[in-house]
Amino acid sequence: MIVCVAVVGHQNNPLYLQSFTEADDALKLHHIVHCSLDVIDERVNNPKKTGPTLNETFLGLLYPTENYKVYGYLTNTKVKFILVTTDLDVRDADVRNFFRRFHLAYVDAVSNPFHVPGKKITSRTFADRVSDIVRTFGLGTAV
Amino acid sequence: MEPDVSIESGCIIRIAVLPIGSIPQVQLRDYVSMLVRHNKVELSAISSFYTEHQKSPFANQPWETGGLRFKFMVGGSPASPWEDFQSNRKILAVIGLCHCPSSPDLDVVADQFATACKRYSSALVERCFAFCPGDSQLEDGGKKGNNVVLFPPADRQTQEFHLQTMMQDIAASLLMEFEKWVLRAESAGTIVKTPLDSQASLSSEEVIKAKKRRLGRAQKTIGDYCLLAGSPVDANAHYSTALELARLTGDFFWYAGAMEGSVCALLIDRMGQKDPALEEEVRYRYSSVILHYRKPFMQDNAQRVSTLSFELEATLKLARFLCRRELAKEVVELLMAAADGAKSLIDASDRLILYVEIARLFGALGYQRKAAFFSRQVAQLYLQQDNSLAAISAMQVLAMTTKAYRVQSRAISSQSPNKEIGSTHADAGKMHLQSVVSLFESQWSTLQMVVLREILMSSIRAGDPLAAWSAAARLLRSYYPLITPAGQSGLASALRNSAERLPSGTRCADPALPFVRLHSFPLHPSEMDIVKRNPGKEEWWVGSAPPGPFIYTPFSKGEPNNSNKQELIWIVGEPVQVLVELANPCGFDLMVDSIYLSVHSGNFDAFPISVSLPPSSSKVISLSGIPTSVGSVTIPGCTVHCFGVITEHLFRDVDNLLLGAAQGLVLSDPFRCCGSPKLRNVSVPNISVVSPLPLLLSHVIGSDCAAILYEGEIRDVWISLANAGSVPVEQAHISLSGKNQDSVISVECEALSSALPLKPGAEVMIPVTVKAWQLGLADPDNAAGKNISGNAGRMSKDGSSPMLVIHYAGPLEPPGNSAMNGYVVPPGRRLVVPLHICVQQGLSFVKARLLSMEIPAHVSENLPKPVYLENGSMEEATVPDTKTESLVKINPYRGSWGLRLLELELSNPTDVVFDISVSVQLESAKDEDSSTFVDHDAADFGYPKTRIDRDYSSRVLIPLDHFKLPILDGSFFAKDSQTDDVTTSRSSSFTEKSTKAELNTSIKNLISRIKVRWQSGRNSSGELNIKDGIQAALQTSVMDILLPDPLTFGFRLAKNDTTQVDLPGESNIQLKSPGSKGSILAHDMIPMEVLVCNNTREMIKMRLSIACRDVAGENCIEGNKATVLWAGILSGICVEVPPLQESKHCFSLYFLVPGEYTLVAAAVIDDANDILKARAKADSPDEPIFCRGPPFHVRVIGST
Repeated sequence: MIVCVAVVGHQNNPLYLQSFTEADDALKLHHIVHCSLDVIDERVNNPKKTGPTLNETFLGLLYPTENYKVYGYLTNTKVKFILVTTDLDVRDADVRNFFRRFHLAYVDAVSNPFHVPGKKITSRTFADRVSDIVRTFGLGTAV
Repeated sequence: MEPDVSIESGCIIRIAVLPIGSIPQVQLRDYVSMLVRHNKVELSAISSFYTEHQKSPFANQPWETGGLRFKFMVGGSPASPWEDFQSNRKILAVIGLCHCPSSPDLDVVADQFATACKRYSSALVERCFAFCPGDSQLEDGGKKGNNVVLFPPADRQTQEFHLQTMMQDIAASLLMEFEKWVLRAESAGTIVKTPLDSQASLSSEEVIKAKKRRLGRAQKTIGDYCLLAGSPVDANAHYSTALELARLTGDFFWYAGAMEGSVCALLIDRMGQKDPALEEEVRYRYSSVILHYRKPFMQDNAQRVSTLSFELEATLKLARFLCRRELAKEVVELLMAAADGAKSLIDASDRLILYVEIARLFGALGYQRKAAFFSRQVAQLYLQQDNSLAAISAMQVLAMTTKAYRVQSRAISSQSPNKEIGSTHADAGKMHLQSVVSLFESQWSTLQMVVLREILMSSIRAGDPLAAWSAAARLLRSYYPLITPAGQSGLASALRNSAERLPSGTRCADPALPFVRLHSFPLHPSEMDIVKRNPGKEEWWVGSAPPGPFIYTPFSKGEPNNSNKQELIWIVGEPVQVLVELANPCGFDLMVDSIYLSVHSGNFDAFPISVSLPPSSSKVISLSGIPTSVGSVTIPGCTVHCFGVITEHLFRDVDNLLLGAAQGLVLSDPFRCCGSPKLRNVSVPNISVVSPLPLLLSHVIGSDCAAILYEGEIRDVWISLANAGSVPVEQAHISLSGKNQDSVISVECEALSSALPLKPGAEVMIPVTVKAWQLGLADPDNAAGKNISGNAGRMSKDGSSPMLVIHYAGPLEPPGNSAMNGYVVPPGRRLVVPLHICVQQGLSFVKARLLSMEIPAHVSENLPKPVYLENGSMEEATVPDTKTESLVKINPYRGSWGLRLLELELSNPTDVVFDISVSVQLESAKDEDSSTFVDHDAADFGYPKTRIDRDYSSRVLIPLDHFKLPILDGSFFAKDSQTDDVTTSRSSSFTEKSTKAELNTSIKNLISRIKVRWQSGRNSSGELNIKDGIQAALQTSVMDILLPDPLTFGFRLAKNDTTQVDLPGESNIQLKSPGSKGSILAHDMIPMEVLVCNNTREMIKMRLSIACRDVAGENCIEGNKATVLWAGILSGICVEVPPLQESKHCFSLYFLVPGEYTLVAAAVIDDANDILKARAKADSPDEPIFCRGPPFHVRVIGST
């Protein structure tokens, strides 16, 4: 189950952070997302410029923590998507698929002429779409 | 668990360092710092102290390369229950430190040391170092046992050398002790126990098992000692045996321990090498270590004692070993696994240590955020301990996290070298990259607020009011939009409470509220304007002023003028003002105790003021100060004393904040949410302070408010100039500027220049004569003139008043050091004195008309005196225009033929009375004022002025008879006549344009001689500007006014037969008044003369004829009903009049009937020249020129 998704801007500023748990652990999830930036930063700063990974946007498992697994995705504009899940065995393909759909939703959201780049994403449509993607995560449904 | 563990810690000998007796803190620190330098002693260095008593068990001791390592535990440490398992945990030596001057008795010291050592049963070597002994102590010292070592007083170098020797001695002793121990253990075996081993009675099976295991454990322990002795090869041999034995007996815990030892031995053996194979080996062995540490834990789960901490320690050791960027992923996994394990740790301090280590390792890896996260965990653990020391630790740990969370205190961040404070205003426009990033990262407000709150909480608990203040200030300043009003007030009271515990005048690096931004630099008031002085020029101010009204000129493009860096000049000793805007976006009343400009250059005295800001409000305040010395001034911000602490608020910070707010990066713009309008980014100009300048202050004597003048009013204004500066004025120049400059008639520049140099405090008065200008039709004042007339205090509109501009300057060179090189000429100043004039509508001119008046003269014996000598009569007509004749102050016998009168109609819309006086300046005569003033009441001819009451209008008549030229001059005429619009074709030599211009000139000449002055009340008088009106009236008939007729005619009685020559007057009206009335009788022969005067410079031939008409206009000389008989010739008289002469023709009339008769002379000029023709406006050259004289009345009285 996905507990949290986040969009982090190219200056490591949070653009969107949504948790999907009932529990009051928003702060904890904030911390997890914040900490995952360390790993992403490192991968951004030391990209492995080799062959097939050159244009790879999916960063894979960033780090496992306590009960969570944190996955990352880096767009070519250096916007980061972060996924925090409690599932212990997650198929890579599912995560990739999730991020691909999430990326599309994000592109649509920032293409809104009323969206100011660099500001937090407040679009309700985006939130609805994201929760939809989160709900169908791992069900194997293709877009 | 222990902090700071690494794989190599297996070979480090622990030495407890204990202060013995009382030692001052400073001394202790000094001694310890000397001691800790010797954390490694080379084996080669100790060989001299080493004596091999038996064959050393450390066969492979590397005497050349190896060494002993020490770890000094200052203050000692309690014995660990696991010290049998890992021998390096034992305190193997004790060093006492004694400061002899404070512990005089060495016996006591020795006793105390012995007591202290008792706690460390495992200690093999004990020494007490006594520093700075006295002479007596030195003597005593010799007798004591080995334990107390006296360090004779010496310089530091000697002492250090001494200490080194002692350490080498200790190392040698330890090595020998280790040998002894190993030999004993090898021969007799040893019993090692761990808490893991069950303390309860063992079953027989277990006893056998334990015996088997004991051998392996002994081997492991011997290995440990070998490691400590610096002999990794020996250690490795023992560890191999131990591993074998432990594996056989299933003693996994010891197996893991031996494995750890073997890795340590491996690393020591390959000191300095780090090849991948070694790394792989270490990794492999350590994962096995971790695995085996976990085994007993899982196996003997029921046991109270857990080996988890060993597993975690091993994990940390491996992580530390691998801690490199390239292996980050692996390390992270290890560390996260360790962090996961933390939850199972029972001991809180173990957990604390674990988190500390994890945080450190993450920090070393460059994962600042994770390090911060775990630091926060550490802080939370500290906070769970309920004592102030833990709180201080928590506070300090949290302070370290602030960098990662971008909530750093300015005090810390300013210490970092890459931030320069000096360039505060130099690059105000562009932002630091760092600050941009911090703006972005500042969006993690959820986390940041939590951290700041924790810092606030911990610092309150730790009793550090300054840290608490700083945290609360940061929290309030950065996150006020996210804090409820109640929370804001809570923070405010936290700030106040903290400040109460601080000494007054405490400074804090972190500003709280309010937000302060630069609003503007007010320009100098006009009287303090500074003008750059151009010493090369006479007019030194020229060229220094802005070149024109254009903001941009293409000619100045080449100059490197960056427009945003305007220069500002301040003057020593003259107060200046800077406007700043304060904002309090919070929900409580903010009381700023004092705020003043913060200037670091030290040449500025700022004046503090206190401000109170209501909730959610902003205020623009003016901060002032006085520059104290020449130089440049930089104003980076304001110093604010608020909430009991002094802080510096930098403008740049707020600028960055606002920029961030504009880009949506920052939560909110504090100024906008207070309703303050958006402000352009104000750049701080370069401010330079110059030496004192003179300062002129002006005031208008009488009243400082506007002078109210009626249109055309002339008044003298006295302006007083006083030098309020401390430098004399040496140069001054007055010029005019602004609108209506021509209304200033004269300025006494002499009065000012003669007063130079104007010493400080001196005063000079300058008279200025002003004449109120004409209100334009478009001027709204005109329309409103009636309404505002009562509004006496009204200031004039600024735009319309003229201004006196006074450029002045002090001495060119400062007194004393005139020869100074590179001295910049001090600037001058400009004082603008607006002449506040409020012009009200005064008399208004309605229209002008040219009237002609024809009153026939009476024939008499005498020719009258020339008109102009006789106070040329003037009359006027007022509203009832009907009785003009009755009001004429004119000699009815003189007559007035062809008299031109200029009638001016004036109206008085004001509510005061105007007295009008008209003056005509004559060219020929010197009479200034030859006109008569007639009141419209006509009662008093002598009354000199025309009075026009309010809301009345009146007409003023001006006779124009004095403008005639005496001679119809050819040249003048040629010029004038041809300039006439209606000239004939003969005047073709002149272009139309020039003739018009000539005409205008002559009209202007005429008009300028007519002056209409008025007076109202006691002290306002002026002149009416009616030139345009007169010009319009005169335009067509100027020639008739200016030019005399070529011939003038006059009649007189030739009774007494005097040959009185009529002077060639300039008037064509030859008035003849009878000498005595009633002297012409009917039925009597009346001898008469007709005088013909030639006004030209040519001889004129003419045929003169005289006609006489009766009242009905009938010719009464000829015809059937002739009532007049005559003698002499009356018609066709050929007369030749020489130039400018007159000729007389005599005749006699005999009146048959009494009554009124009119005599008229007329002449036809023969052979008229061009001038005459032009004057007569003849159309064709053949046309005869006909001249007619004015009619003369003859009253014939009956002969009763």
